[in-house]
Amino acid sequence: MIEQILSHMNYIGAMALFVIGLHTVLTHSNLVKRIIGLNIMETAVFLFFVSIGTITNGISPIFTPTTQTGFINPIPSALILTGIVVAVSISAYSLSLIIKIYEFTKSCELKDILEDNS
Amino acid sequence: MSTIILWILLPLLISALILPLLKKHVLLVKVIFMVSILLSTIFSWWVVINGADIVNTSVVFGSWDVSIGIEFKFTWIAMVFSAFVMSAASLVSLYALSDMSHHIEEKRFASYATLVLLMLFAINGITFTNDIFNMYVFMEILSITSAAIISIKHSKANYLASFRYLMLNSIGSISILMAIAFLYMVSGQLNMDALALALNQAYIDYPTVIAMAMIFMLVGFGIKAAMFPLHVWLPDAHSNAPSPSSALLSGVVVKVYIILVIRMMHLVYRFSWFEALNLNSALSIFALLGILAGSLFAMGQKDIKRMLAYSSIAQIGYLFLGISLGTSAGLSATLFHIMTHGVLKIGLFLSVGAFIYQTHKRRIIELEGIGYEMPLTLTVFGFSALGLIGIPGTMGFMSKFYLSTALINSTIPLALIIVILSSFLNAVYYMPIIINGFLKDNHRRDKDFGVDKLPITMKISLISLLVINVSIGLFPSFLKDVIDMAVNTMMRGGL
Repeated sequence: MIEQILSHMNYIGAMALFVIGLHTVLTHSNLVKRIIGLNIMETAVFLFFVSIGTITNGISPIFTPTTQTGFINPIPSALILTGIVVAVSISAYSLSLIIKIYEFTKSCELKDILEDNS
Repeated sequence: MSTIILWILLPLLISALILPLLKKHVLLVKVIFMVSILLSTIFSWWVVINGADIVNTSVVFGSWDVSIGIEFKFTWIAMVFSAFVMSAASLVSLYALSDMSHHIEEKRFASYATLVLLMLFAINGITFTNDIFNMYVFMEILSITSAAIISIKHSKANYLASFRYLMLNSIGSISILMAIAFLYMVSGQLNMDALALALNQAYIDYPTVIAMAMIFMLVGFGIKAAMFPLHVWLPDAHSNAPSPSSALLSGVVVKVYIILVIRMMHLVYRFSWFEALNLNSALSIFALLGILAGSLFAMGQKDIKRMLAYSSIAQIGYLFLGISLGTSAGLSATLFHIMTHGVLKIGLFLSVGAFIYQTHKRRIIELEGIGYEMPLTLTVFGFSALGLIGIPGTMGFMSKFYLSTALINSTIPLALIIVILSSFLNAVYYMPIIINGFLKDNHRRDKDFGVDKLPITMKISLISLLVINVSIGLFPSFLKDVIDMAVNTMMRGGL
């Protein structure tokens, strides 16, 4: 039982992070913390994606005359590199939106923003 | 031959890159913007006209092996949808040339143009790509640009709407990426054709993982396409955006995800897997709830753009209802309704934009008697609204007709009652605007009939939408044949 949990730690960790992130995005009143929640969700998926490409005792996929087997799958890592760039651009854009909202309301708390009808 | 895909994509991308450099020359920006969109539109139509020769050809970028590289593939469904998107976008852009100066400073038109061009680039990319991760990347470009064309207007409501849209959209994208991870885990493929083959085998070994992938993907696309219980971002986003942006968002952007749902259901997964989990029944229940709830919410609105936004939720319900049937009749009804709702909702949003342009009024009660000042615009509004109600002679009647025939031959014929009820509800909130607009006195008019004081570009795009609406309503067979062919080739290829 414990062995099975330990060998699937990456899945459990990814799902736990996913749920924590989702909870933060949906329930938190502070807009910056919502973005942090979104980043946690993204990290969960990245962790999951990278971990499905690895093998036990795998080495980095660089061909040399001596090492020709036992590589990890490089494609998930390459994909997640793109995913990270996308995640950064989403964060940057949403942070800039928060700056603009702050200029209007002088607050990052959603309940203040909704009360303030100027 | 198949490199023609670059000719659709490159004008959009190149002018998106050079327009920010020409910011100060507003006229030049407008010309380049319009020319590049028209070029892309012409190429996308050329593709449809020569479709028989280039269907199923593909381009793999960088000469990689298909399993690693990015493949763009011409399928009928992609070609037809791309032509629809580009034609709709060129009409909206023509309108935006004059209208955007009411929402943003003239100097910032270049920023708006860049965003719209990148958005269309992403939409065409999503439509043609055959690589599931590439689809995700284009989807994120689409998320950012479509949120940015809302926040282009300086106001608190716009920033908030845009923020909420972006947050929910990102949750959707992350769910879809999770689903892609599940699929990659069981199949080791990213190319959709190879993935479909590999999943056939994997479904026997790992049905739970694939079921998780299906649910994550449906939720993700459901958020992005505003399926009923996940629609909360839509009313704010679509009603606060500048009118041309609203038209693009509800006429085009939402539809992209519906096309993706169709492609995923039939070309990557198999529809029988959805039936095994009863996901298609869940989808049709949510669709029917959405049809009713959207119409009921729309009846309670005082702001006309908000009313149109809620009406979109009901129309998206029709689209999901057609998908959930899983028959080729249901799918072609959905595809026809995608075009119909595109044309009609763009017509509605643009004519409401014209009301706001001339009179600066957007509350429904203030639009009484508007027909004396703006007869042309109210006619366009009227015909589009009649279309959504489903009056014969408009495009909307034909798509409701196709959907109803598909429903009668399906397992849930009683859903027809809700479709007809929804037509009545549509009439309840659209008819008063038309009748009061043409017949009620408004005390503002100084003469009996005025002419709309609109720039010529806005008039051209409004009249073209009216003509398309009525002519396809009277002669639907051309469009229907193309769509039937697209659906049939897809069903044959996938099953």
